[in-house]
Amino acid sequence: MPAAGLRERVLEEAGRCAYCGFCEAACPTLRHGPHRGYGPRGRVEIARRLLEGLSKPTGEAVASLFTCLLCGACRVKCPLGVDVPLVVRGARSLYLAGVLGGRVGARPRLRG
Amino acid sequence: MSALDQVLSLMAEYVERTGFPLPVPKGFQYRWAEPLGLPRRGRVYLYTGALYQLAPYVEALVEQLERVEERPGAGIVLRLARAVSRVVDLSKIAVRPDPARVEQVERVLRSVAGLLRAAGVEYAYLYEDDLYSGILLYDMGLDEAFERHARRVYARLRERGAEKVITVDPHTTRALRQVYPEYVPGFDLEVVSYLEVLDEALGAGRLRPSASLGLRAVIHDPCVYARFLGIVEQPRRLLRAAGVELAEPPRSRRMTYCCGGPAEAVLPALARRIAETRMGELAGVGDTVVTLCPICLVNLGRAARGRARVVDAAELLARAFGAG
Amino acid sequence: MGRLASELRALLGEGKVVDDPLVVALYSRAPDGLEAEELPEAVVFPESAEDVSRLLAFAYRRGVPVYPQGSTSSLGGLALPSGGVVLSFERMDRIREVSVVDGVAVVEPGVRIEELNVELARYGYMFPIDPASAAAATVGGAINSGAGGMRGAKYGTMRDWVLGLQIVLPDERGTVMRIGCRTVKCRQGYDLVRLIVGSEGTLAVVTEAVLRIAPLPENVVVALAFYERLEDLVSAAVAIKEEGVQPLIMEFMDADTVDIVVKYRGAPVEARGHMLLVGVDVNREATGRVLRWLAGLLRRHGASRVYEARSMAEAEERGLLDVRRALFPAQVEYARRALGPGAQALLEDIAVPPSRLAEAVEGVLRVRDEYGLPMALGGHIGDGNLHPAIAYNPRDRRSVERAHAAFREIMRLAVRLGGTVSAEHGIGLLKREGLREELEALGASKALEIMRAIKRVFDPKNILNPGKVV
Ligand SMILES: Cc1cc2nc3c(=O)[nH]c(=O)nc-3n(C[C@H](O)[C@H](O)[C@H](O)COP(=O)(O)OP(=O)(O)OC[C@H]3O[C@@H](n4cnc5c(N)ncnc54)[C@H](O)[C@@H]3O)c2cc1C
Ligand code: SF4
Ligand code: SF4
Repeated sequence: MPAAGLRERVLEEAGRCAYCGFCEAACPTLRHGPHRGYGPRGRVEIARRLLEGLSKPTGEAVASLFTCLLCGACRVKCPLGVDVPLVVRGARSLYLAGVLGGRVGARPRLRG
Repeated sequence: MSALDQVLSLMAEYVERTGFPLPVPKGFQYRWAEPLGLPRRGRVYLYTGALYQLAPYVEALVEQLERVEERPGAGIVLRLARAVSRVVDLSKIAVRPDPARVEQVERVLRSVAGLLRAAGVEYAYLYEDDLYSGILLYDMGLDEAFERHARRVYARLRERGAEKVITVDPHTTRALRQVYPEYVPGFDLEVVSYLEVLDEALGAGRLRPSASLGLRAVIHDPCVYARFLGIVEQPRRLLRAAGVELAEPPRSRRMTYCCGGPAEAVLPALARRIAETRMGELAGVGDTVVTLCPICLVNLGRAARGRARVVDAAELLARAFGAG
Repeated sequence: MGRLASELRALLGEGKVVDDPLVVALYSRAPDGLEAEELPEAVVFPESAEDVSRLLAFAYRRGVPVYPQGSTSSLGGLALPSGGVVLSFERMDRIREVSVVDGVAVVEPGVRIEELNVELARYGYMFPIDPASAAAATVGGAINSGAGGMRGAKYGTMRDWVLGLQIVLPDERGTVMRIGCRTVKCRQGYDLVRLIVGSEGTLAVVTEAVLRIAPLPENVVVALAFYERLEDLVSAAVAIKEEGVQPLIMEFMDADTVDIVVKYRGAPVEARGHMLLVGVDVNREATGRVLRWLAGLLRRHGASRVYEARSMAEAEERGLLDVRRALFPAQVEYARRALGPGAQALLEDIAVPPSRLAEAVEGVLRVRDEYGLPMALGGHIGDGNLHPAIAYNPRDRRSVERAHAAFREIMRLAVRLGGTVSAEHGIGLLKREGLREELEALGASKALEIMRAIKRVFDPKNILNPGKVV
């Protein structure tokens, strides 16, 4: 089991995102990925939706979370200082623990 | 269970069984130290976390699996899963690292050892207890496996009487300094990077260059040093003292750009593209690139393709501080 | 997999269409808390004008709504879909050409303004329209929202910097055509380029733009001043203009908002009172003289504190721009402290003639107090553009209604003062009523009819970003 309180911590951090997209240009994976889910704004929003129980995990969501480098470039650019690596890593952990509603097949890929 | 899950559990299982995330020969992590005769017991230990030593194996495994699986676009996890289900036992995949790469990372570690000695630091080495930190498990979200492993590693360090460890790469430093305390009850170890140790010695006049390298190089900050640990100026001060004229790429220090390495496990083609982008930036500024992390070293080294020489800072420093 | 998505895949190719529900949701939210009421069926990622053309012809035949999107950073719901298909320009992000001789940059719509400026800086040039969102905002989005920015007082808005466009029409063939010129002077009959600028993706899809570029100023001196009295600040701003100087930057923040920024984000300088941030571009030789003049003027008009910097680099180093930069995050955090997690800031965007600014600010503060709503107030004072930010909780109906009511009051205030309901953000979903009132006040109700007729000519089936503007 992931550490107690992880879910709350991740959800709180993800909930701080204002969805402005200022972080995206700094992200190395976004420009090679097929969609916004390969960037910080998308990853945080996907994590939020999964953690709030608004959706079940999908293949694209899992690919989004697991292609993050945890490099933290986004965090430096975020006006609100959202800790994206914390959200992504935490969401991975919760997903693998099966608490986000089962596991699905994922196919990480480049755009095109 | 999906391919991704499958491979992650395999990785976890592998760490559980052997202590390392992929098949490696016994003793591979301390071979570099054998000619040095470092003391085995002490209170301050050099702890490599085996990441430099693992890097050539990761490189080889990824390349091998890419060759096995012709289908383009399919991620490494798929290929790995397929390869695994074909041979059932992961240990049957013989990973043959490039001997030149193995030699290179071992040279880096010997350089670090020499530098610490040159700075008058007293330390011992862990040899068979120089275990992998498990950071990949943590990053991938395999918290349970990570926690078990971290506790084992910590227990082993305490058995050896460690009070302080000197680390050599950013990921292991972060693992011990920022992550272990959250997962290991009663964690009580001082964790310093060799760069911090050397920088302090330099400032205090305990470490003095015996030669000036008179060379120009571009510095590539590893993300984890620059953004998670705040280790930015230390390597710069040391390299300058070594007579290296440092050039900065367009994105450096806190705004540094990832080498792409962390994507290797999930989508190697992505790792390649990012390394390519970064290499382009670095090579535009100079033809010698200095790195401070085994993952950067391998990933950028492979992307360089003759455009630049990629070297680890420790190797350069060792030459200037007479620790070669 | 939806039927529409499979048809789109057959039409455009496997890799250019995504219909995973979690991904589609990523194209259905905006930074001011607005969300799509109905998720789109798919997101399409064109890689060329040809792709766009095929999509629009298909959408025309099938009557499928298409929502063009850059970075969805626009405010007021301009880019929000409601069912249909999102057309995202994330993959058309190349800078095709920079010509210093012709003074133009030719770019695809998905290029972000900040990235364009990084590239142009290598030539000693810039694209002068710099919305505070330049890190996110794309050229296509900025064109279609008619964006402005900090340098608006001197350089105007998007409509002054777009010379030519390649557009695709939502008709039977998905007609692709070029309009405008590659020269600043251009009299090509009715000005269709300017019609597209600010049309919010409701008339045509932009697939390439020829932008005018400007040399980077040799140097910029910066002064950050704080005033006890609002009238003093306004008189200083007016005096700068009266002395014949056109500042590059002239930003304002009211005293309570400065407190909010300090409280939630901290400030590197002592910040108290109403804030005025002024940047003036100068020849390097004139640096000292202009800075002395500027600081002296600000003080003479009653500034309690003035911080000076001899260059942009020095201003950055000393954090003089940080207070202004912290406005947006402070607004959001303030909203959340006041109303709980999930709260957002609804950003207003009125402009009044600069001579009426003091009245406008007082009027806005009166609305704030009457409605008892947490509100922060900043703006581009050089061009009379104010951005009151009203805190609200998008998930709470009553909170939404109250915020909208205050929003309407503020729009009416702008119209009363001879201003406009939207200076740079656009009409979108939230200001259609305001637009109608503004035109009525001008005695120009017929203008709306003309606009609707124009919409019909470009988009006879009403499939392009339907429900916005008119
Ligand atoms: C914190 C913050 C600060 C801001 N500051 C400013 C500011 O200072 N000045 C300012 O003007 N705005 C500002 N904005 C608003 C917004 O960022 C700008 O309007 C920006 O230009 C929108 O760009 P975008 O790429 O996000 O466009 P989007 O939001 O994606 O789209 C905007 C409009 O353009 C249309 N569109 C996009 N691309 C195309 C295309 N290729 N063809 C046809 N139509 C298209 C969309 O349908 C939509 O109607 C701010 C926003 C935020 C969150
Ligand atoms: S941490 Fe992940 S999301 Fe953030 S910039 Fe790096 S790769 Fe992108
Ligand atoms: S910059 Fe920060 S607030 Fe804005 S979208 Fe990225 S994570 Fe969210």
